[in-house]
Amino acid sequence: MSVNTPVDPSQFDIEAIDLSDRDFWAEPPAVRHAVFDRLRAERPFAHFAEPEMPGMEGEPGPGYIAVTRHADLDAISSQPLVFCSGKGAVSIQDIPADLNEFYGSMISMDDPRHARIRRIVSKTFTPRMLEQVIDSVVGIVDDVLAEARRKAEAGDGSLDVVADIAAPIPLRIICDMMGVPEEDRAEVLAASNVILAGGDPELTDPVDPLGALINAGITLAGIMERLAAERLARPTDDLTTALVTTEVEGEKLSHQEIASFFILLLVAGNETTRNAISQGLLTLSENPDQRARWMADSSLDKTAVEEIVRYISPVTWMRRTATQDGEVNGHAFKEGDKFLLFYAAANRDPELFADPHVFDLTRNPNPHVGFGGHGPHFCLGAHLARRELAVTFRRLFEICPDLEITGEPARLRSSFVNGLKRLPARLTGER
Amino acid sequence: MSRVQVDRERCVGSGVCESLAPDVFEVDDDGLLIVHREEPGDDQLDDVRDAVQQCPVRALALEE
Repeated sequence: MSVNTPVDPSQFDIEAIDLSDRDFWAEPPAVRHAVFDRLRAERPFAHFAEPEMPGMEGEPGPGYIAVTRHADLDAISSQPLVFCSGKGAVSIQDIPADLNEFYGSMISMDDPRHARIRRIVSKTFTPRMLEQVIDSVVGIVDDVLAEARRKAEAGDGSLDVVADIAAPIPLRIICDMMGVPEEDRAEVLAASNVILAGGDPELTDPVDPLGALINAGITLAGIMERLAAERLARPTDDLTTALVTTEVEGEKLSHQEIASFFILLLVAGNETTRNAISQGLLTLSENPDQRARWMADSSLDKTAVEEIVRYISPVTWMRRTATQDGEVNGHAFKEGDKFLLFYAAANRDPELFADPHVFDLTRNPNPHVGFGGHGPHFCLGAHLARRELAVTFRRLFEICPDLEITGEPARLRSSFVNGLKRLPARLTGER
Repeated sequence: MSRVQVDRERCVGSGVCESLAPDVFEVDDDGLLIVHREEPGDDQLDDVRDAVQQCPVRALALEE
């Protein structure tokens, strides 16, 4: 059975649905989406208790509201004064403020500070600037694919889509942009995996995930300290130089601000595009007619990339916290209420998307929220991600047209990142 | 004549407008938006309308 065979939503007992149950996030996507369908239709502001986090002390928090309708999500996302990010955007639990800012950087900040910090790097991520790096994106993708082919052909033709294709492409691109040297990159990938492990016991320490998280942060901060000192002495045109030399309102960023920004760019640059590539390939293999059509027609690149982002939704949710009492689309809330914006659910909302569970590479318009809803936190790397995905799939069709998925993926057990750990494949040699 | 309006308080320099209408919008080195054509030509209006609609912080308006 294909993992994307639709699952009948009516088979679930709505009272028993619990998005805080870790085992729910080990279910295949079709199960998740059937559950989202139920919530969206019947309980669009469902409340859930906070998941347990080993190592966290004190009383559990008040729980959160799961937002699953596109209209509600966008309404909340576009009112940052009422629904703030500064209480934490990437953690359900209220974690200590210093840790929150350290791991979230500007994701967990509000304007005006968020906007000031974001402007330091925003130019680097605009389409015009990315045009200038396009050759390097094509070059990196071609290198990675050639290497994957060599490796597969030296053996029995098999490869792991995640380790051999999907991970190295964004890793090399973001590390090039940041100026992280070759010898540090394996460590960057490993630390980035731990930071977004979401409690998956294979990737983090199941007994002490908080400790593992802190250690991974220390590792990345250590790499940053060395690079920052080098760039201060000899500036280049990379992002790390921008971080250490730019002044915000006459002040340079503090040591800790630079470290957390550095961590954000590395982690966000790696963990999202990787999963869009691996699951995009998986979804194409489940939809061979779509794959053949896209392969034959590069004019579909633009809509195809948007559809992959909608369908996969690499980041499942972000959190907002109410700064006051109020009402949104008929739902009354109190100051301090936490909202999880389930992008993955909103992206299958039948109010906006005809046949939402159908993967349609020609879907247009495609007002998905895979890069976030309206609001100041719209994905900084959206243009880069689009570029990486368009180039990767086009080059894959040319360099590895014989790629065939050969087994079930190993899924990351995380509510936050829709990730694959492994995806077995082979090159058949048939062109 | 249609005229582009930018709310500078809201703009975060995301570059969404630049990707949709590169002849009209550009984010400068400081992350601030430059409007190259405050009165876009007729052939640019569709792109500018898309940019207004897709601006993540709704910082753009087109007075028609």
